[in-house]
Amino acid sequence: MHVQELILRLQRYWADRGCLVGQPYDIEKGAGTMNPLTFFGALGPKPWNVGYVEPSRRPGDGRYGENPFRLYKHHQFQVILKPSPAKVQEMYIESLEAMGIDLRQHDLRFEEDNWESPTLGAWGVGWQVVLDGMEITQFTYFQQVAGLDCRPVSAELTYGIERICMFLTGIDNIFDLTWGDVKTDQGVFPVKYGEVRHREEFELSAYSFEHANLDLHWMLFTEYEKEGWRMVKDHGHFLSAYDQALKMSHTFNVLDARGAVSTTERPGIIKRVRDLASACARAYLEHETQKTSAENTQEVGR
Amino acid sequence: MSDTKTLLLELHCEEIPARFLSLLLNDFSHKIEDELESWFHTGDSANYGVRIGGFYSPRKLAWRIPDIPIIQTDQTETQPGPLQRLCVDEAGQATLQGQKFAEKWGVPFSEVRFETVAGKKEPCAVVTLTRQGRPTVELLAEALPRLIAGLHVPKAMRWGHSEFEFVRPIRNVLCLFGSDVVPFDVDGVKASHTTWGHRLYHLDHPAPIAVTAPEAYESALKAAGVVASFHERRADMEAQLHDLAKAVKGRVVADDELLSVLAEIVECPKVLRGEFPLSFLDLPKEVLVTSLKEHQKSFCVESEKGELLPFFLTAANRADDPKGFVQGGNEWVLKARLYDARFFFAEDQRHPLAERLESLKALTFQRELGSYFEKTERVEKLMAALAPELKLDAKEATEAARLAKADLRTLMVGEFPELQGVMGGEYLRREGAPEGVWKAVKEQYRPVGAEDDLPATALGCLLSMADKLDTVVGCFAVGLIPSGSKDPLALRRAGQGIVRILWERGWGVSPENLMILALGVVGGKATQPAPAILDALKGFFRDRVAYQLERAGYAPAVRRSALAAGWENLTDLKARCEALSAFAEDPRFGSLAQSAKRIGNILKDESPAAAFDEAVLAQPEEQALAAHLNTLECAADHASRLAALANVALPLEAFFNAVMVKCEDATLRAARLSLLHRLQKAFLRMADFSQWQ
Repeated sequence: MHVQELILRLQRYWADRGCLVGQPYDIEKGAGTMNPLTFFGALGPKPWNVGYVEPSRRPGDGRYGENPFRLYKHHQFQVILKPSPAKVQEMYIESLEAMGIDLRQHDLRFEEDNWESPTLGAWGVGWQVVLDGMEITQFTYFQQVAGLDCRPVSAELTYGIERICMFLTGIDNIFDLTWGDVKTDQGVFPVKYGEVRHREEFELSAYSFEHANLDLHWMLFTEYEKEGWRMVKDHGHFLSAYDQALKMSHTFNVLDARGAVSTTERPGIIKRVRDLASACARAYLEHETQKTSAENTQEVGR
Repeated sequence: MSDTKTLLLELHCEEIPARFLSLLLNDFSHKIEDELESWFHTGDSANYGVRIGGFYSPRKLAWRIPDIPIIQTDQTETQPGPLQRLCVDEAGQATLQGQKFAEKWGVPFSEVRFETVAGKKEPCAVVTLTRQGRPTVELLAEALPRLIAGLHVPKAMRWGHSEFEFVRPIRNVLCLFGSDVVPFDVDGVKASHTTWGHRLYHLDHPAPIAVTAPEAYESALKAAGVVASFHERRADMEAQLHDLAKAVKGRVVADDELLSVLAEIVECPKVLRGEFPLSFLDLPKEVLVTSLKEHQKSFCVESEKGELLPFFLTAANRADDPKGFVQGGNEWVLKARLYDARFFFAEDQRHPLAERLESLKALTFQRELGSYFEKTERVEKLMAALAPELKLDAKEATEAARLAKADLRTLMVGEFPELQGVMGGEYLRREGAPEGVWKAVKEQYRPVGAEDDLPATALGCLLSMADKLDTVVGCFAVGLIPSGSKDPLALRRAGQGIVRILWERGWGVSPENLMILALGVVGGKATQPAPAILDALKGFFRDRVAYQLERAGYAPAVRRSALAAGWENLTDLKARCEALSAFAEDPRFGSLAQSAKRIGNILKDESPAAAFDEAVLAQPEEQALAAHLNTLECAADHASRLAALANVALPLEAFFNAVMVKCEDATLRAARLSLLHRLQKAFLRMADFSQWQ
């Protein structure tokens, strides 16, 4: 199983089950949940199914490409199903079969794991899905996003692409996975994950652990924050403001990986990100409500 | 006995967190017990408790209760009404009020009787209503949805569009009374006579399984791959663990908690054994055991000599492993985990532990008390002050304190916080630190709980005590005092640890002096006035000492009276408790208790001198008592002092019967008061006998 084949199968599977196929969002982020397709999609009453790949950056997990199991940047496949369907577990299990996992041969368990994102003011309950002892998916019923109750509740599935691929192939070094085949007139050239990503892992790890300019990052954090509040407060623009919240979050992660954030400062800094994200969420819901009432008025007018 | 039937209820959910299973099972059992009692009035609701069969597995909570009557007996109840004279006029006819009362209860006025009612002086109107007993199945259909919705769920969730809250989504309800389905629904899920077996079973059997009668529950589930009983799964897995370990000439590193968790996370009990590369055995045993348990819910296997073998045992939720994938997968994951652990272990050792001390400045212990660096400095000072007193090496003591917290900055402790202390000790041992130092650091957090052992070495005990002392006194000094059920910093546990160490080590250091010492070290960080802090600390430690006495198993009278006489030296307190316990049954102590109270009353507003002239004493009873006082004051140890105390009981009674203490003669009176005062002081060296009863 190649990395790209796994992604294609997941996209196909969820598209066939009534999901939009989304795209990664082009700002650094720690998890697929932060993509606006999920953050705003999980808010409000509108039905919403979407699946997409999300490259997720965790500066603290960087290992210079030397650790065969850990990455600065890994890929998540993220699915949001709103409202959560009654057969969501069965749908998930079928997706494993679509990836080529024959459950007759394996041990599948759902073990309690409740998810929380303090930067997004979001939490949910659910499980880590464990296959033959390995965690392959985070499965969450969102209860709150941006401190607001989710009504209806969304189910979120987050597959760890690299892990599942390693599991399926039995290869125990991420960098030895095959990303895909390049076919040219001269023949077929399988390309390793390491060829695509190893140098990137090295440089990004070195950047976040050694080279990042801390003063610049502290300054950026504050400036992104100001810019975000300016957009959401003065203009009611929640998307451009939310971009700033994402940038704050990543900037914080870089500082944190360097140990530049003390344990006492931490909660306060996380709260600054959360406050901006929550303001975006409220502005979004307000916008949606106005839009709906405007549509209803038009309806009556006809 | 009327006809009875058995009730079976099963809630089939998405995977319920293991830690909530037994809680939910018991909560519902209590609720249904009370409900049944309210219907059938057997006067013995616990009886149901004995009979309730409870089952749980990751996806199921189920209850089976036999011998429930199929119908309620008719219920009569009496309803009182207005006074008779208000209901009936002088002509004997019903008044408007009388008619209204009859109408209210739906009976003709002729059925209204007039009787004396408790609390009323005049006769009142009364009707007796008979309610026909209802079929139990109807009662159940009404009650069960209410009881299920009313279950106490520690971390409840919503799902889909519904506002219904439960621990995880309910996907099927099986409910039989005898062989009949009880008709109700929970959040739109209708009760039926079917349920679902193991997921693997349903890969080939898409339809739900039928349960024909409550008694057939376990067998129906077993046929579909589920062992309904937690206890059966646990026992089965325990036997498998034993056999699998034995097959590689080893034994399981026992862990009851882990075994229960494994039995809670599978529906089909299967233990499998895997292997990991020998080279990982270079890791400290604690690292392997913790990593296997926390990350992979696996048991370690050790040899007869207690050395780890390169095997692990874990659970699978299926009966077999036809292609070895399950074992292979678990081995693969474990290898990845151990690889990480080895990476941390090697990385951590690239620098001596002491190099991390500076970075403790950025690690906050508590906002007002500052960083771990500052805590370390305080504990060092405590160690320097206490080590000489306990005849321990002061240099080793301060060195242990200085290095104690450095492992908080290691990768390994970042990954496994429960290994704090252990890792510091391991790294120091490998660096060649003195044995006394690394052993003390390694065990500094013990005793972790009430059942845990103390550190094995004296220096380890001292370090543990000094660290806890700083935590408790520091927190009190900044106003963080546990109250009621609130003790977020686990100060009570820390306090108990200090008391246990003093008690079990036989260290006679005064707890009050310890508090004063530690408060001095906390110094300017204190936000509260010192006398208030010390008062609060004294109350806190007194409670801890009282609990220690209770744990040690002394009788309540012994505990109360010994503690009331002081606890500035726990070794002495222990000796007094032992001596008192040996005499606890002696009837003379009852008399002594009476007299002690009397002495207390007499001396309440007096301030007698310590010395008195024996020659002044006139009566034989007081002369005898003075002689006894002399023996008592000369007693060299608690046992002889106690014997002397017992002997003073009767002379003291005789004294009070014959002697008028507060007599006219001032000299005599002063001598008598002094005599009693000295006696009281002698008593208090042992116990406050006024607290004996």
